[in-house]
Amino acid sequence: MSAIPWIAQRIILGFLRDPRTLALFFLVPMVVMSLVYVSLSHDETARVAVLARGAARLFVGDLEDALAREDDVTLAFLSAIPDEERDGPTLERMIREELRLGHVDGVLYFPEQLIADRFSGKPGQLLLFLEGSRPTVTATVASAVASAADDLASALPVVIDAQCSAACANSVNVKPLDIDKRYLYGSEDLRQIDFFLPVLLPFFVFFLTFLLANVTFQRERVRGTLERLLIAPVRLAEVILGYVCGFILFALVQAAIVLAFLLALLGFPVTALQVGSLVLVTLLMVVIALLLGLLVSFAARNEFQAIQFVPLVILPQVFFGDLIWSIDALPPALRWIAYLMPLTHANIATRNVLLKGQSLWESWPYLLVLVGMGLLAMLLLSVVGRRRAGGG
Amino acid sequence: MSHESHAMIELDHVSKAFGGRPALHPLTLTIPEGRIFGLLGPNGAGKTTLLKIIMGLQRPDAGRVVLFGELAPGDPRATRRIGYMPQQLALYEELNARENVRFFGRLYGMRGDALHARTEEVLERVALSHEADRPVRDLSGGMQHRVMLATALVHRPSLLILDEPTTGVDPSLRLRFWEWFEVLSEEGASILVTTHHIAEAVHCQEVIFLRDGSLLERDAPQALIERYGVADLEAAFVQATRAREDQVELDP
Repeated sequence: MSAIPWIAQRIILGFLRDPRTLALFFLVPMVVMSLVYVSLSHDETARVAVLARGAARLFVGDLEDALAREDDVTLAFLSAIPDEERDGPTLERMIREELRLGHVDGVLYFPEQLIADRFSGKPGQLLLFLEGSRPTVTATVASAVASAADDLASALPVVIDAQCSAACANSVNVKPLDIDKRYLYGSEDLRQIDFFLPVLLPFFVFFLTFLLANVTFQRERVRGTLERLLIAPVRLAEVILGYVCGFILFALVQAAIVLAFLLALLGFPVTALQVGSLVLVTLLMVVIALLLGLLVSFAARNEFQAIQFVPLVILPQVFFGDLIWSIDALPPALRWIAYLMPLTHANIATRNVLLKGQSLWESWPYLLVLVGMGLLAMLLLSVVGRRRAGGG
Repeated sequence: MSHESHAMIELDHVSKAFGGRPALHPLTLTIPEGRIFGLLGPNGAGKTTLLKIIMGLQRPDAGRVVLFGELAPGDPRATRRIGYMPQQLALYEELNARENVRFFGRLYGMRGDALHARTEEVLERVALSHEADRPVRDLSGGMQHRVMLATALVHRPSLLILDEPTTGVDPSLRLRFWEWFEVLSEEGASILVTTHHIAEAVHCQEVIFLRDGSLLERDAPQALIERYGVADLEAAFVQATRAREDQVELDP
């Protein structure tokens, strides 16, 4: 007689009698699919503003129309920059400040000189100021501006030489405009991969530490040693801090390995100070991942449930953690979710340090949030832990 | 040591239910100091629940527990004095026997030379000195049980709580375990031991019969054997159970 139906029946009964595991089993794909849908359904758009001075203002409308026709670009208006003449350096400083504050991703400046150049037969030059730390956004802005500049070139008046034939006049017309790109951060050489690589450090450290803490603690519970720890005159906080201290060494070695790979693969030089800053962010992530791992381990009733919590914790970090898709690509109503993810804050701080060349101190709000998350996890852990320990 | 000594554990109408099903009916019991006290009954009688309540791992639904005359379960002053050997093999299998013993000693605040000397002493006591450097996962089942006992003894507890210490242990080692318990008792430790191998509890000075969460009998093993006029303790237990069932039928 075949044992197959009986083994299958045993499995089915096992599932049915563990409703929590079953719920997770069905819930996880639904949650994950919703996350993917939500995070990908909103296209990332680049915000571009157009500025012009003097006679060039006549063409601003044309430029804006041309840009508005481009996909993935929305027009922005810089109310902070007064609509009057400023000397070149002052204006550039104002534009850079707007970029730094994140009000726009690119500013296209149409200097009056361009018209004069066109009249004297030169191609003429538009200035494009780019934020530059996000290669996809930079590329979107650059290609939209290039296309709008082509439209503009054909709309601009030309001087036709008396000796010039009709064909000659056409050739002047199609002469493209030069675009001078100026980057706030990075350069034209910043690759998509340079944007993506740095945040693999906090991600891997978070993911693997979480996983290991979860499984290790689960094992402690299953084999009964946790019970013995709780009977001994040892406080739960001591157990948790013991775990943190024990794990940190290995997490740091792991971080060093990931970091070494990163430094070898990144297309730009990294200073010792930047490395130190990354180590600090990594340490914070280790502690948070560890506390979350313990928390999940406590909340789960068996190994099965503990394992199922892994995608539930990790995947939202992937989709909402500013890892692959930027927060700006999320529907505005859902951006708050991104800020609930520890990885978001670590990623922003990491990119600020590596791609924007800022000191870690400038990312203090993100670090503060991470510390707060750590404390919250600790608090939850002490509540859940005490209840679990007392409830058996 | 006098048998008219102080109460080690006092239970006053302690009860516990799991999901509406009673695991322990209101139980009032005083366990004196300095004896081997047996908690006997089949699996599911409520033995482990009772132990967990005594150690503060579970809260009773009702009733009061007092340890060492004044302390509540879970109070560090009480837990420091308790050595616990759980039913399952609760050891760190990747560590060796000595490391396990030292780890549990450290949890109870032992350090340095005192810990070192005591570790060797308890390993010697359970006859594991020569195997102390092998990872626990490589030891035989009987050796692993001995490591468990060593880890429960390392901090010199005055109350030893042993949950089914002889389950899954071969007969000759089982006998040795009981010899060790007797020595420990003579040295002044109080021992609370559960077993469903009821016959072997003749080594206890006093036992209670527990069945379906209720107390059936309490006396010295020999007294119980004589009372029911049977050959051994197991038969006495069966008789006590029947007597209770008859009583329930007569007095519903």
